[in-house]
This record gives sequence, structure tokens and C-alpha cells, in this order.
Amino acid sequence: MEQREIVVIGGGPAGLSAALQAAHSGARVTIIEGEKRLGGQLIKQTHMFFGSHKQHAGTRGIDIATLLENELRALPNVEIILGATVLGYYYEDGALTIEDHEAFRLMIPKRLIVASGASEKFLAFPNNDLPGVYGAGAVQTLMNVYGVKPAQRVLMIGAGNIGLIVSYQLLQAGVEVAAVLEAAPQISGYLVHASKILRLGVPILTRHSIKEALGKHTVEGAIIHRLDDRWQPVPHSEQQITCDTICLAVGLSPLCDLLWQAGCAMQYIAELGGYVALRDEGMQTSVPGIYVAGDAAGVEEASAAMVEGSLAGLSAALSLGYNSPADEELTAELRQQLDDLRAGPGGAKIRSGLEKLHPTADNPKEVT
Amino acid sequence: MDNVPPDDTIICRCSDVTRAELRAWIAHGLTSMDELKRLTRITMGPCQGRTCRHLVMQELAAVTGQPLEELTPSSFRQPLKGITLGAVADWVAKEKQEKEV
Amino acid sequence: MLPTASLAAVTPHQERLARGAVAIVECFQEIPCNPCATNCPSQAFALVSDINALPVLDWDKCIGCGICVACCPGLAIFIVDGSGEQGVVRLPYEFLPLPEVGATVLGVGRDGAAVCGATVLRVQNSPAQDRTPIIWLQVPPEHIMSVRHFKF
Repeated sequence: MEQREIVVIGGGPAGLSAALQAAHSGARVTIIEGEKRLGGQLIKQTHMFFGSHKQHAGTRGIDIATLLENELRALPNVEIILGATVLGYYYEDGALTIEDHEAFRLMIPKRLIVASGASEKFLAFPNNDLPGVYGAGAVQTLMNVYGVKPAQRVLMIGAGNIGLIVSYQLLQAGVEVAAVLEAAPQISGYLVHASKILRLGVPILTRHSIKEALGKHTVEGAIIHRLDDRWQPVPHSEQQITCDTICLAVGLSPLCDLLWQAGCAMQYIAELGGYVALRDEGMQTSVPGIYVAGDAAGVEEASAAMVEGSLAGLSAALSLGYNSPADEELTAELRQQLDDLRAGPGGAKIRSGLEKLHPTADNPKEVT
Repeated sequence: MDNVPPDDTIICRCSDVTRAELRAWIAHGLTSMDELKRLTRITMGPCQGRTCRHLVMQELAAVTGQPLEELTPSSFRQPLKGITLGAVADWVAKEKQEKEV
Repeated sequence: MLPTASLAAVTPHQERLARGAVAIVECFQEIPCNPCATNCPSQAFALVSDINALPVLDWDKCIGCGICVACCPGLAIFIVDGSGEQGVVRLPYEFLPLPEVGATVLGVGRDGAAVCGATVLRVQNSPAQDRTPIIWLQVPPEHIMSVRHFKF
């Protein structure tokens, strides 16, 4: 059994920022990442980030990963465990079980920050189990992490930021994009991302959805159809698209398995992607000592994930007595950054989701 | 399996559970995620529900009329990923040795 | 589909266009983003505290240097020059291969449709641009507000 001060689960933007802030505050921090390098989704984000300079705006995601990693590695009070997966949390004794390169480990942290990210949502349509039906994130990993050209011609489902950005990156990789479908009446991602692919001649079809995938052994095409105001298929609006790959970019769900195991009070909020943990302003869940940040706390942009991570890292360190006179000002500054990032029309969904979130005090710990 | 449209759309990829099968079980009286999990193996495959959980909950909500917000997802058991018993046994042996020292 | 009606709001008057290079900021949606304003060496963008505010460019202060073109995360800024007999459009281009200077290419519009033939005048790709090359295209002057990409 290994004792630790603060354990951060997940080495993506939220986890890295949480570890950095907690370590800067003086705490001894252990960060556990399942992949062989730190960065999470940042390592495949070849596009420049929005936000302000505080969230590295104008810098490519992949370079932000390197910046944060270098900063973290320079600190003596940080332990980095790569290629290890947390298998479970046991609320009875606060233990984490871990698989680290095929060996089993058991770790008991004083504070736990869950920054486990999100998983891609899937869609139900006939033949959705044909090889060639991918999550957009998986295709992005193939291209940008492993250097594999994943397809010749793609049909993208979903015109949120992920669908638009991955379409652009597919085009950069020399892959044709047949069309981007969006079930909503308008493009849900940023218009600047949409413009980047529209001027490359890719049609974005709003109020359209996939009816079925075609193909015998692998995807050979798709039938798409138009949707009416009530999201119902318009009769006889079917069109056939030829493609060898269908990419699903229909949203993400927070990965909260460990928070459920810990007995954190959870609430379903569609705007945040699914079930999320209730938390206070310092990102502490209803279970004292367990914090949450980033997509695991509600699906949002990486810039907000970084700020949430810093907040969680700061409050976890503070609760262990690592305080400094500047903490109050820093907390206020981080909250202001989050408010600013969420203030625009693009933040409306997040704002409405967060408004629905019950305060933690109303939901005492319940373990079933 | 009466009155269920023959829809072979896959809802759970790990265990090959189709929409028709799922709807048949729901029609049969299974109205909680945990019951569906035990009888169909949804959320118990290699993806641990990351692909199907949301789709099954949508089916359940659509058929039973319960709002999605009021459904409880199936329980999240440890371990979240497979590990060999050998790895756990090695750890136990090592712990025992350390205690004896 | 895109709010191109807002184009009028980001298009400088004829007299400014005729005076020389100026940035056209095709950013029509309030998103939390401000590198154009913080990186402008001429302080031509209004500095506002709300990072969601649309960028407001003072065309008289803009010298058309193009720094904002490469730093805009949305690749939504273009430089146009209507001062010569031939017009010039400078645009961000994150694709390989890069075109050769002197090459004849097909200028396309915001919807990807062909607009006119264009000639590559210059390929700008300094380290400061951080892998967002800027291509200078010579186009007929009447098309400087239409050409936004090219094919070859």
C-alpha cells in the first residue's frame, strides 16, 4: 500500500493544470496518466486554441501539452506515472487500485483530483457495427498521434467543434470529406471553424442525419436524410453518399466511473454531456477530499478545463494547509477567467447546465 | 419478443445487443439499467458501457416514458479494466513479505 | 449559411481599400478569443476587457502587416490590398504542398466555389507564424473581397 498526498487522475489539460497548481502551492503531487505521454487530448490538437493568453490562446494544443509538461517536470515535488490505469476507487478506505505496466498497485491519497476526461457518444443506426464507423476522436488519434491516413473519403456526423475541426484536419491529411451532417437547424460549432471547411468546398448539411450505413464487410457508403422541425425524418429526402468511413462527432459524455464508485452525489445534466458530480466553487465534490475538473466535471472547451484544473489543484492544496497570502486573489482570478470564458453566446449551454447543478450541501453523500 | 419491430441495429457493440432485443426485454418488464445489465450484459464488455450506456438509457427513456434525468445508470464496478489475477496475487505476496520484514 | 451580411461591417470604405494593405476580420460570432488584439503591433484593435467581444479594427491604424492573419486561431483574418492595378489577397494556408511563387492557381470564395484565376506572389512562412503560412495572391481588384482560398 502506498500513501500519497494529492493524486491527480488524468494527464490532460485539466489534470496537468491541477497538478501544476497543487505543486506550486507546495503539495506533493502524483499524476497518473493511462497513455505513454502527458497531454491527454491536447497531443492531437494541431489547431490553435481560443481564449486569452492566460489559457495559451493562439498556441496549438500539442504545444500547450509540451509547455505544461515541461513546467511540471521542472518541479521537484511532482511524481509522474505514465502508462498506468486506475482500476477503481474504494470508498471504505479511500484506496485506488491501479494497473501499472501489468503490475497491480494500491494507493491511498489524502486528496484525489479526478480529471479523467470524457468518452465519445455513439449513435444507433443500421449497420453501425461495420468496420469504418469511427468516433471522430479515434480518427484524430490515428492521424495526429500515429501518422496513419485513416480513410479516403469520410462522412462526418456532427458539426460541433470536434466534427468541424476533425474534418479540417482530415482535409489537411489529404482525406476527402464528402459532407458534414448536423441534425440541428444550425451549425453548433464555432462559425470560424465552419468557414475553414466551407471554403475548401465541403458541404455542411444542417437538419440532416444518417439513416443507415451501407456496405457488406466494411463501410461503402451511407444513406442520409433530412429532418423536420420535430427532428423527424422527412419522407423521400434520402440521399446516398459514397464514403469508406463514417465519423461520429455527436458529443461527449463525462467519464465519471470513479466518482460513482466514491459515492459522489451525481446529477444528469444534458448540457454538460450526461451525469456529472455536484461540486462546490473549489471543484470539491460531495465527498470531502475528492475533487473533479475538466470534461469529467462537464464537457467543455480545453481552455475552461485548464482553469478548472487550477482551481481544483489550488483548493486541494489549501485543504492540506498549503496556503499563501496570494491564494484568495488567485482563486478570484481563476473564477473570473472561467466566467469570462463562459460569458459569450458559445458559453450559453454551459451556463444553463451549471445553473441546473444542485449545490453540494443539498445532496449529502449517499453510497449505494 | 411480441410486438417488437425487427430492428437489428446494434446498441451494445461489445455484446452484440440489438435494439429489438433490448426493447423485448424492456417490454418483458425490465425497467432499470441494472436489470438490463444483468440479463443482456450491456455495459459489461471491454468498453464498460462507454459506448452503449447512453444509447440504452435513451431506449429505456423512450419506451418507458421516464425522463432521462430520472434514470439511474447501471452500477460502476471495479475493476474498470481487466487485470490478471496473477498481478493481484503478486502484489498480495509482496505486501505480505514487507509486513514480515 | 454564414452571416456574410455582416461582411459590410468588416469591409473598409473604398478610399481605405485604395490606400493599401488592410486586414479584413471575418469574425462574426462572439467567442472567447483575443490573440488578434493582443498581438497587433499597431494597437489597431480596440482593447476591450470582455474577451468574448467581436474584434473591432481601426482601419486607419492598421498597417496591413499580417501578424494577426497567422495568429488568429479561427483563420478568419485576411489582408487585402486594392492600391495597385492588380489586387492582392493574403490568406492563411495550412496545407502541403505549398504553392510555388509565380504559379497560377484558382481563387475560390467563402463557399469553395471558383471566383477567378490568381497568381502566387509570395509564400510567407517564418517561424514567428508558427506553421500557418501566408500566401499572397494577385487577383483582379474587383475580387479582393471574394477570394478566400485557392486550389491548384
